[in-house]
Amino acid sequence: MDSFVKLSNFPVIMGYRQLFLQGLLVTVLLSLLTVLVGFVLALILALMRLSNFRPLGFLGLNEEGFELDGGWRSVVSKFNPLSFLATAYVEILRSTPVLVQVFIIYYGVFSIIQLPSFTFFGFVKFERFFPGVVALGMNSGAYLCEIIRSGIQSVDGGQTEAARSLGLSQIQNLRFIILPQAIKNILPAIANEFVVIIKESSITYTIGVQDIMSAVNAVKGATFIIVEPLLVATAIYFCLCFPTSKIIAYFERRMSRGDRR
Amino acid sequence: MATDDKVLIQVRNLKKYYNRGTIKALDDITVDVNKGDVMAVIGPSGSGKSTFLRSLNLLEQPTGGSIFFDGVDITKKKVPDGKGRMVKMNLDLHRQKMGMVFQHFNLFPHLTIMDNMTLAPVQVKGMNENEAEKKAQGLLERVGLGDRANAYPIQLSGGQKQRVAIVRALMMEPEVMLFDEPTSALDPEMVGEVLDVMKELAKAGMTMVVVTHEMGFAREVGNRVLFMAEGKLVEEGTPEDIFDHPRNLRLKEFLSQVLK
Repeated sequence: MDSFVKLSNFPVIMGYRQLFLQGLLVTVLLSLLTVLVGFVLALILALMRLSNFRPLGFLGLNEEGFELDGGWRSVVSKFNPLSFLATAYVEILRSTPVLVQVFIIYYGVFSIIQLPSFTFFGFVKFERFFPGVVALGMNSGAYLCEIIRSGIQSVDGGQTEAARSLGLSQIQNLRFIILPQAIKNILPAIANEFVVIIKESSITYTIGVQDIMSAVNAVKGATFIIVEPLLVATAIYFCLCFPTSKIIAYFERRMSRGDRR
Repeated sequence: MATDDKVLIQVRNLKKYYNRGTIKALDDITVDVNKGDVMAVIGPSGSGKSTFLRSLNLLEQPTGGSIFFDGVDITKKKVPDGKGRMVKMNLDLHRQKMGMVFQHFNLFPHLTIMDNMTLAPVQVKGMNENEAEKKAQGLLERVGLGDRANAYPIQLSGGQKQRVAIVRALMMEPEVMLFDEPTSALDPEMVGEVLDVMKELAKAGMTMVVVTHEMGFAREVGNRVLFMAEGKLVEEGTPEDIFDHPRNLRLKEFLSQVLK
């Protein structure tokens, strides 16, 4: 019986190493941009979810301007459309497969919006790369939003009380007291999300983004060799993700040291 | 509105209801805090004494009544500006003049003791940074912590943290200091050092409202004692009135429990 891996196939794949290197570059670039887009989106979503915007707030006040202590008017008055929209977005994106999202963005949204067709770095096709960034960014934005929100909420409520009782405004409280503590809490989770994105970005080969998986596909199409290119891809992904998560774990340990109250 | 110059905070019919009035955390509280008062608020747990204190700087939103501070009703969203117009009530401005000390200290763990103290004066009042540090150093020395300015809160004991929390509030030069069970989270041997700082503060003429379980402190340092139970202000008087000649049955019961 044939062995399932043939060593003799590797020299053949070596001929396509340029494709794998290009794929590596695209994967790294795609992941970095995705985190960037996702983080900005997540910050906006998290602030929307935690905002105190109540356009119907007047319904919850009595004649003297005090808040009612119960009843339907009180419930309705607490409706926050910003928070509602952000929550709906997060829940929908987290409850549907990323593959479906990528297809909808690429075949749906960007069939209506015409993207200019050009290449950068000499080979990356913008009209495929860009929808990939958008789709993955929108997806990770939903996850990162929850990370940021929980980070902000994990800061003890007494901190806000102390800050506000000293006369700090809501913005000053967020800037000097809450965010510095929250960011420290969530950095490891954000970094972990980065590892997840590196792996998840492989899905964009289905819309023709030239990442590592598309190199595998190209080799398969040209040589009918399947397993060996997959092993090469496995090695590359592992070499990207494993050290990254180890570095994260190291910083996680260092930051948690001497930080107990 | 403040007709009497001696009165600092006027609380009128203050209410805090939950669940459509079925739970009354504060039930029609009316009391004046005069300048220089050291007012001890005592009562069983769940009596609303902390809610009362936290309402004074609106960390709790009351559901009725008024609190006049500096002549302004801080429970209202809009207040008259003295020229016949209604303007937005600036709560941050009033909070600067009310120092607050919490049961769990609530120091900022990511900042040094020095930064804990200078943050608000510099950011809120626009105080010069060097000036603020000099002032902070002076206050720290007054409470015996002059050498801990560059430490982080985690490196301090509970008693030290609470002393820092007190002088942090003093940095803003408040007109009144609110203490929310300042010694309840402390190991017994550290209670004394915090009470000493508070006694000194009282001697210096600071207006203080102190929610406390330290009956000795209430008796010795307070000039007025409020007894609260079930959200109501049940009895009010001098320490002698309250501790030696209690009238209300609920108060008698409470005292027999705590003074056993």
